[in-house]
Amino acid sequence: MAEMQIKPITMNFGPQHPAAHGVLRLVLEMDGEVIERADPHIGLLHRGTEKLIEHKTYLQALPYFDRLDYVSPMNQEHAWALAVEKALGIEVPRRAQYIRVLYCEIGRILNHLLNLTTFAIDVGAMTPLLWGFEEREHLMGFYERACGARLHAAYFRPGGVHQDLPDDLLRDINNWAKKFPDFIQDMETLLSENRIFKQRTVDIGVISEEDALSLGMTGPCLRGSGVAWDLRKNQPYDAYDEMDFDIPIGKTGDCPT
Amino acid sequence: MGVMDPPLSPPLPPGADQDAILRAVGDEITNRGFVIAKADKLFNWARSGSLWPMTFGLACCSIEMMHSAASRYDMDRYGMLFRPSPRQSDVMIVAGTLTNKMAPALRRVYDQMPEPRWVLSMGSCANGGGYYHYSYAVVRGCDRIVPVDVYVPGCPPTAEALIYGLLQLQKKIRRTATIARS
Amino acid sequence: MNENDLIDEAGIASESPLQIMADHLREIGQGIVLSSGIIHGEIELQVNAGTVAQLLMLVRDDRQAAFTQLIDLTAVDYPERKDRFDVVYQMLSMSNNMRLRVVATVGEGQTVPSVTGVFMAANWAEREVWDMFGIFFSGHPDLRRLLTDYGFEGHPLRKDFPLTGHVEVRYDDTQRRVINEPVHLVQEFRDFDFLSPWEGMHNELGGNAAKADPDKTAK
Repeated sequence: MAEMQIKPITMNFGPQHPAAHGVLRLVLEMDGEVIERADPHIGLLHRGTEKLIEHKTYLQALPYFDRLDYVSPMNQEHAWALAVEKALGIEVPRRAQYIRVLYCEIGRILNHLLNLTTFAIDVGAMTPLLWGFEEREHLMGFYERACGARLHAAYFRPGGVHQDLPDDLLRDINNWAKKFPDFIQDMETLLSENRIFKQRTVDIGVISEEDALSLGMTGPCLRGSGVAWDLRKNQPYDAYDEMDFDIPIGKTGDCPT
Repeated sequence: MGVMDPPLSPPLPPGADQDAILRAVGDEITNRGFVIAKADKLFNWARSGSLWPMTFGLACCSIEMMHSAASRYDMDRYGMLFRPSPRQSDVMIVAGTLTNKMAPALRRVYDQMPEPRWVLSMGSCANGGGYYHYSYAVVRGCDRIVPVDVYVPGCPPTAEALIYGLLQLQKKIRRTATIARS
Repeated sequence: MNENDLIDEAGIASESPLQIMADHLREIGQGIVLSSGIIHGEIELQVNAGTVAQLLMLVRDDRQAAFTQLIDLTAVDYPERKDRFDVVYQMLSMSNNMRLRVVATVGEGQTVPSVTGVFMAANWAEREVWDMFGIFFSGHPDLRRLLTDYGFEGHPLRKDFPLTGHVEVRYDDTQRRVINEPVHLVQEFRDFDFLSPWEGMHNELGGNAAKADPDKTAK
C-alpha cells in the first residue's frame, strides 16, 4: 500500500469559542491532534484606550484602567495612580497606602480565584467554579462597600483613595479572611491530587528560565519558571515594605503550579 | 419596566385556588384522556422557560455574566443553561465592547443561530459604544450589527440587573412571540 | 554634585548606585550613548536610532550592567519636532534591581533596526509600534499589524490621526455583510476639562430648600 502523506491542516480557533475566555483568534496548523504552529490574532478587543486617554484629564482617565484587566480592577488603577504620583512627586497618606495594599491583595485573590476556577472548568471540573465564584461575590461585596461598585471601582486615585472605608468593613474582611483557608483546603482536595486534572496539566506549557527572561515576563508567569522576582519585595511601593509575606516560586511553568 | 400590563394573568400562589385548578385538570385527563390549551401559550411557555443563552462574552461584562450564572444568582433555576455553540442556543447575550475587528465574527455567529432567536445587549458598550463611543476601533452599539430585543444598561450591569433583563426578555417572548415564522 | 549623590556622616559625597551604573553605562557605551541622565530614579540614555540594537546587546551581555529584560517598547509622537518620534525601550536588571530607559529619536519614514534578535519580547512590541505609529523596523521577522482591524488604514496613535478615526462599521442588509462607512457621529466629543469640578454649579437653591431657608437663596 502506498504511504499517505498527511498534510498539516490549518484551522481557525475562532474569536468566539467557549475556551478562549474573551476574544482570541488562533490560526492553528495541526498535524492530527497535535498543534504544530499557532499564529495568534489579537486586537479583537482593541478599544483605543490610549488614544481616548490623550483627550482626558488624569482623573477622567482613571476608569479606563479598571477596564483593562477586569478581573482585578483596582490593581490596574493602582498602576496608574503610582505612575502619576511618581511623575508629579505626590506623597500618599499612610492610611491610604494601607487601604491600597489591602484592596490590591483582595484584587489579587479575585484574579487567582477566577484563573483557577475557570481553568478547572475548561479542564472539565465544574464544582470549583461554583464554589469559587461565591467567594468572589463576598469580595465584590467588599469592593461595593468601599466605593459603591462591584467591579469597576474608580477607587484608587492619584494621591490616595477616593474615600475612607466605612465602619465594620475591616472587621468583616477579617472574619472572611479567617474562613478563607478552609476554602483553599477544599480546592486542594478537589484538584491537586485529582488524576484527571494532573493528566491534563502536568508537563504542559513549560517555559524555561531563559525564555521567560527573554520574553520579558513578569509576575506569576516568571515566578512559575523559577525566577525569584516579586515587585512587592524588590521594589516595594505603598506599604508593602512593612508587610511580612512569602512569595511562591514554581519550577515547571505556571501550569499546573 | 412599565411597558404594559401583561394580558396573561399572574401565576396563582399555592392555596385553595391552585388546588381547585389542578384538580379540574386532573379530572379532565382521567375522564376524557386529553387536555386542551392554546398552542401559542404552550410554545411561549416552552420558549421562555428554557432560554439557552450562548456565551458571547467579549470584555468586562462577561465577568458579571459569569457571576449571574454562578451559585449566588443562579441562572439555571430559570432554565437558562449556557451553550457554547450558536446552533444550540436561543438567545445571544452580547456582553462587552464590540470592536470593528470583531463585528464580522459577531454577525457570522448570529447568522448561525436557528430561529426563533433573540439578542440581549448587555452593558453600555454593547448598547451604544459606551465608554469607548468616540474611539476609532469600536462599533457604536451592537445594534448596528444585529437586531436587539432587550438592552441592559450598566457598566457593568450587576449580575442581578442581567437577571432582570433576562426576565424582561421572557416577558417579551410571552407577549410577542407567535408560531408563524418571521 | 546633584541630589542623587549621598553624603555620609563625614560630609564626604559618595555616589549612589544609580550614579555608579550611569557612569558605567556611559563608559561601555562610548560612541553610542549621546547623553544620559537620571530621572525619577531611572537612568535614561539617548542614542541614535541606528545603534539601538548594538547598545541593547551591550547592556544585556555586560556582567555589571546585566539588563536582561526588555520590559516595554513604545514610541511617543511629538509632531512639532522635525524628528517626530521617540522610540523608548524600558529595561530591567534583576541582579542590580535597576531600571533603564533608552530613547532613540526617529523621523517619519526612517527605519530602526529591530531588536528581536536580542530580546524575544520585542517581536510583538515592534509590531504594535508599527501598527500604532508607522515606524518601520528593519530585520523584523514578521512585521504586520497587530491590534487594528484587518483592512485598517492609518496609524492611530499619531497625533494627527483623529480620535474617532475615518471609518466606522455597520451591517448592511442588502450586501449581507459588515461594511465600512465614513464616520458620522450623532453627538460630537465634549471636553470636560474644567479648572474646578464645581464650575457650572450655581449657588441658588431651588424648590423646597429655598422655602425652608430663605437666607440661603441666591444673592
